[in-house]
Amino acid sequence: MSKPKVALYWAAACGGCDVAVLDTNEKILDIANLVDIVLWPIALDFKYHHIEAMEDGAIDLCLFNGAIRNSEQEKIAKLLRAKSKVMVAFGSCACFGGIPALGNLTNRAEIFERVYVEAQSDDNPNKTYPQTSTKVSEGELELPELYDTVSTLAQVVDVEYFLPGCPPPVDLILKLVDLYATGKLPPPGAVVASEKTCCDECDRVKEEKKITKIWRPHEIIPDPKKCLLEQGIICCGPATRAGCGMRCVKANMPCRGCFGPPAGVTDQGAKLVSAIASIYQADSEAEIAKMLEEIVDPAGTFYRFGLADSMLKRKRMQTTQGRV
Amino acid sequence: MKTARRIPLLKKTLSQLGIEEERVRLAWVSASEGDRFASIVKDMTEQIKRLGPFSHNGGGDNV
Repeated sequence: MSKPKVALYWAAACGGCDVAVLDTNEKILDIANLVDIVLWPIALDFKYHHIEAMEDGAIDLCLFNGAIRNSEQEKIAKLLRAKSKVMVAFGSCACFGGIPALGNLTNRAEIFERVYVEAQSDDNPNKTYPQTSTKVSEGELELPELYDTVSTLAQVVDVEYFLPGCPPPVDLILKLVDLYATGKLPPPGAVVASEKTCCDECDRVKEEKKITKIWRPHEIIPDPKKCLLEQGIICCGPATRAGCGMRCVKANMPCRGCFGPPAGVTDQGAKLVSAIASIYQADSEAEIAKMLEEIVDPAGTFYRFGLADSMLKRKRMQTTQGRV
Repeated sequence: MKTARRIPLLKKTLSQLGIEEERVRLAWVSASEGDRFASIVKDMTEQIKRLGPFSHNGGGDNV
């Protein structure tokens, strides 16, 4: 029997997910013995046409990291979906949009303006922007089209499993490989992580959740034993799925929410708005105004990894129909 | 009291997402103020109709 075929791909991502696969250290050799890797742009020199030449369903397992924000990523996501029996949204960007989805607070025109005209290092008086096709003497050059909106993988193609994390922790990667190798994969749609929240698994001392001031992480050195929220640091633990191994909290940093909403929660950001406003002791308009001032960037904080996957998905693009 | 804190924070979040503040409204109505309740709901309904439907994708073209 031939070995199972595995594809790994990166779309709108930083490369950290691919490094996390390599972080399996010596286990990567076991994986390499167990399977045939047919695509892995960061590490191996396979081409898209090798995948296009395969029959549909020829790839057994595809680990897809990164969100979808341009035409090439969408095309390859659809190609790999057609060729793969099992598609895994690998990492927070593929699962929820991740950090790239903060681009949904802006749009292509604004991004191009900032990157190619406004940035301090720019020298672009003619306002030249990247074009999807450019004619040069040698022929026509093509670039993928950047979209206004960053999407999750599951918003573009069907996905069987979700492995969140920025990046996914090694133990969960090995768990997924093990579930696959032993034929014990859960029903499609499952998230390979805990069903609980980070707060459920956090062993910091929790007393009374009442705060009167919010500190940004760089402003104080928190007590490493006490609940970070109770110390006035916005920690996304109450509305974040567990399974990460509490890497941030153990490093005395608040949870940033990279595992997405826990089971039963649709909108992680809305839950966090509710949770943080509940514990902040503000009973007058002045105190509420102080709270709003201290929470500098609620959209970016509460939807840090989940904007594309949220109910609103992005900042509204259509022009307002006028104030009433 | 929690609601009095949640709604302003929600509004700040929604304003970052480009959503008109008229789409969210907090009003305190006692159980004995039936008429006032009805008129607030009516006002709100008309206000939302004037604003028009809200597209899920924020009006984006792609995907």
